[in-house]
Amino acid sequence: MTDRDRTNPATDESETDPTADGTTTPPTTDGDTTMPNPEPATTAETASDESTGESAAADADAATAESGRPAIAATDLSHAFGDVRVLDGVSLSVAPGEIVALVGPNGSGKSTLLRFLARVRAPDEGTVTIGASDGRARVGYLPQQPGFRAGFSATDTLDFYAQFVDDPVDVADVLERVGLAGAADRRVDALSGGMTRLLGLGRALVGDPAVVVLDEPASGLDPGMVERLFDIVSDLADAGVAVVLSSHNLGPVERTADRVVVLDGGRFVADGDPRAVVESVGAADLQTAFGDLVATEEVTGR
Amino acid sequence: MSADGRDSLGDLFAIAARELRTVVRTPAVVALSVVFALTVVAVAAAGSGARGGYVPLVLDLAPFVEALVPLLAVALCYRAVLSDRESGELDVLRTFDVSRPAYVGGVYLGRGLALVFVVFGSLLAAGATVPVLSPPDPTFLALNEAADSPVAFLRFSVLAVLFALAVAAVALAVSAAARTARQAIALAVGLLVAFVVGVDAAAVAGLASGNLGIDAVPLVLAASPNGAFRSLVLGVAVETGGSTSPVAALTGLVGWVAVALAVAVLTAWRPVE
Repeated sequence: MTDRDRTNPATDESETDPTADGTTTPPTTDGDTTMPNPEPATTAETASDESTGESAAADADAATAESGRPAIAATDLSHAFGDVRVLDGVSLSVAPGEIVALVGPNGSGKSTLLRFLARVRAPDEGTVTIGASDGRARVGYLPQQPGFRAGFSATDTLDFYAQFVDDPVDVADVLERVGLAGAADRRVDALSGGMTRLLGLGRALVGDPAVVVLDEPASGLDPGMVERLFDIVSDLADAGVAVVLSSHNLGPVERTADRVVVLDGGRFVADGDPRAVVESVGAADLQTAFGDLVATEEVTGR
Repeated sequence: MSADGRDSLGDLFAIAARELRTVVRTPAVVALSVVFALTVVAVAAAGSGARGGYVPLVLDLAPFVEALVPLLAVALCYRAVLSDRESGELDVLRTFDVSRPAYVGGVYLGRGLALVFVVFGSLLAAGATVPVLSPPDPTFLALNEAADSPVAFLRFSVLAVLFALAVAAVALAVSAAARTARQAIALAVGLLVAFVVGVDAAAVAGLASGNLGIDAVPLVLAASPNGAFRSLVLGVAVETGGSTSPVAALTGLVGWVAVALAVAVLTAWRPVE
């Protein structure tokens, strides 16, 4: 595990708003977390106030403050599949270098929201704006079930995607970052489920995107790989990349994320620093807090 | 990224190269291609066409090509876009700012090249049997070489390639429009049946009922890739001397390509503003 929780000011002290009405804002350290639907500039200013200059994340926050724009901002997203309303006016703003973990029960709309953030689907209502910091407008995206063309090696696969970005891509380095250097020449259909997911993460990182959206990146990974994956996520954030991920691995989420956003019934029911979310319901850890915040049959039936 | 035309062209070629490699690495497609090639050469070798010359060979091969080329083209293309959608690669490609025309154009180019190689190569192999199997020209007869020449067979081969590309475009449109494999299969089979027998049957029914005049038949036949191909073979490759212009049939084939690719582009994905 990295020392993000020690170096990122966003995790030092913040508050949560368990009664949030579908609007979420990055946690602040001045106690002002209840302001509904803040402008992106507020996000940047907040991050800047806490900048220590001691970490890359803090530098990234300062950069955000300078640009006055979040890395990605979703505003009033609403969406329905037929009669089922999966998102009901949610807003989310993520600063460069910030890790936001989206948690919620199965079917709560996490993947749908992440697709909107990755701009591969359009919501019925609302907008998604990419900050385009450093001119990097691409959003790296890891789908929930990443798939690849059979018969191609891991290197072939990333080489293919590298052709769509302007700058040269060191594919070997990308594979090294995600722990697949040893499987560079292995065919993708011969990779394990966990390795396939790591290759999906590598694909999302091609072209050094300013924002990375990861849909359950730790699903199917063994504990060691989970830790490695969250280390990679921390490294990305340290480099100034805004990371939005969904996960059911609440232990690593609690240790790594700067913010946890709980999605249930199409709205955000909590948003804030993991510790603050846990304390807001008097729970011992995020797993227990999740059960208190999300009263689904799946959770209460355990 | 794909902000300008130059980069879009680069995206198109990148996708085309991947499609070509995919086709080459797909055993089922390779096996089908080999079966197609063997069938065409076997028809040439076993039939009397090759012994009679190039034009008789064209007449021998035309029905087989009309039936087998659509099968090959559909097999190559009917799941091309759908498989990318099902694997999530279509979504990921969109995050790389690949445009719909570049994506569809790349898939069509890559798979089309493979198709052209198989169809044209097989027909050339079949044509090569003519000099081998034909008896030597009798020395006591004066022969008009224009009546039977390799050029006629070459024209036939080029028309077969056009026909294959038209059906491939339609199959690609099916793969883009279908959301499930079952939909894709149903659509592909339905279109194949319509092309192979549907339009012909409609023309016959129209003639029998008197709703269609004889002059309208070429136009009706041009409405399907199969009918257009047949008209072009008889009018351009074999030169039967009919007064019908090949323009309608050629327009029919090109029209199918244009409309099918437009449908594929529009249905591949819905753009996010």
